[in-house]
Amino acid sequence: MAEDAEANGLDQDRTQIDTTVPQSARIYDYWLGGKDNFAPDRAVAEALAAQIPTIRTMVRSQRVFLVRAVDYLVRKAGIRQFLDIGTGIPSLDNVHEVAQRIAPECRILYVDNDPIVLAHARALMTSTEEGRTAFILSDLRQPQAILDNPVLRETLDLDRPVALFLVGVLHHLHDSDDPRGLIATLLQALPSGSYFALTQPTADFDASAMGGMAATAEQSGIPYVPRGRAEVEEFLSGLTVVEPGLVPIPAWNPLDLDYPGSAEVDRDPYSVYGWAAVARKP
Amino acid sequence: MLLGAHLRRLREAQGVSREDAGWEIRASESKISRMELGRVSFKERDVEDLLTLYGLVDNEERERLLSLARQANTPGWWHRYGDVLPNWFQSYLGLEAAASMIRTYEVQFVPGLLQTADYARAVVLLGHGRARPEEIDRRVDLRMRRQSILDRPDVVQLWAVIDEAVLRRPVGSRAAMRGQIEALIDATGSKSVHLQVLPFRVGGHSAAGGAFSILRFPDQELPDIVYVEQLSSALYLDKRDDVELYVDAMERLCVEADPPERAADTLRKILKDI
Repeated sequence: MAEDAEANGLDQDRTQIDTTVPQSARIYDYWLGGKDNFAPDRAVAEALAAQIPTIRTMVRSQRVFLVRAVDYLVRKAGIRQFLDIGTGIPSLDNVHEVAQRIAPECRILYVDNDPIVLAHARALMTSTEEGRTAFILSDLRQPQAILDNPVLRETLDLDRPVALFLVGVLHHLHDSDDPRGLIATLLQALPSGSYFALTQPTADFDASAMGGMAATAEQSGIPYVPRGRAEVEEFLSGLTVVEPGLVPIPAWNPLDLDYPGSAEVDRDPYSVYGWAAVARKP
Repeated sequence: MLLGAHLRRLREAQGVSREDAGWEIRASESKISRMELGRVSFKERDVEDLLTLYGLVDNEERERLLSLARQANTPGWWHRYGDVLPNWFQSYLGLEAAASMIRTYEVQFVPGLLQTADYARAVVLLGHGRARPEEIDRRVDLRMRRQSILDRPDVVQLWAVIDEAVLRRPVGSRAAMRGQIEALIDATGSKSVHLQVLPFRVGGHSAAGGAFSILRFPDQELPDIVYVEQLSSALYLDKRDDVELYVDAMERLCVEADPPERAADTLRKILKDI
């Protein structure tokens, strides 16, 4: 048993919980109205909200995008496998819930670097009988470790298309982490016909608000890098971006999916300072 | 008790002292305190006056809270068990029935919601060995009735961390213990039960103090409530700072314990040893 635990990275990560240090997953949980957060997380979340008062709407729209993208990929692209990196604390409508509601046989591997997220996900994000959900504690900055984890092969068949989700996570990577290289490494392991869904906060719509946001986050020890349209396009290079293209997060709705919480931003997608896209690997 | 939590939230948001609130309804500061803790019944008129004092004018919201007051005054099914139910535990049953998520950590016994009748009887006998047989039966019945909340998996989730000692220490007969472990194995297949075993190989850990539960409610505005049982009373904590200490301990336990998907295997191994 001890060997399994080590293989899953559990034992060496036991010491990593520190609720006195703000953590991005718990900050998002707070903005989404959850209660799995601690005083230091809330303090940072409030400081960030002072920079961008509409932050809760932005975070919600990121979740709405996730739901719409999963829905689209299962319904229209025949995708049945998902690799979701940067899962966060389970919220309403996680990838497997949306996917398995449409196709119960869907298989989802969740990856997060926060042990609390892992504990919650393992306990609460249970799969249908027909499908599978699995979880690994790993960091997007070590894509090869994710790919080499035996749980990945147990969960996903890499001979069949997989949808890679990097939603609400790329901005926590500094350029020095080489996000382009990480994305390339991950996509290289996936077969032709796979998909890639991303969101990326940007300073393109309101440079000063987003600048304040990034500075405040970095001061609190949370990496936060807004990126311009051209940089996001680079993340998508070599892929075929599906309609409606690279658009403000709330504007990505090819199936006109009604989803609660989106009406307020549907009127003005640029009120959410982030880009979203779904692309296909040729 | 849920209404009490609402009243406290509203009072604190308005910066009204307990004393002033008591004055408004011609009562003492300690009456307000007891109302907020759900220790006394609610007069609808008192609740109305307090809501007005706290500036709650929205009619729909007022009506919702007033209906909570009426509910709080309607006895729950457990009222019939008053003879074997201390007052401090009645509040817990009300909370348990209203919860959407119950996280619990047990060091000594299998969580009440997962006990078999035989195991429950053995536990009851430990505490009330000299009671009349009918009273023992009623205590066991009461525990079994509580478990009906788990038949509604869309409504409530039970997430339990159980120390390995709970599973190794014999309670009752060998048959009772085997039956209990088998029942836990069954429970791991349930949509509403998430079981983690904290194995012996994990050394001293964060919740050295003992068993506790954290209850969460579907109404997002209500705080989580921590329940800590003592021999002759119980603690109900709902202040954020207090609750957070327990949540922190619970998060550590969940990270340290074996993941839920391994619980059934661990239980089967233990069953072989009994």
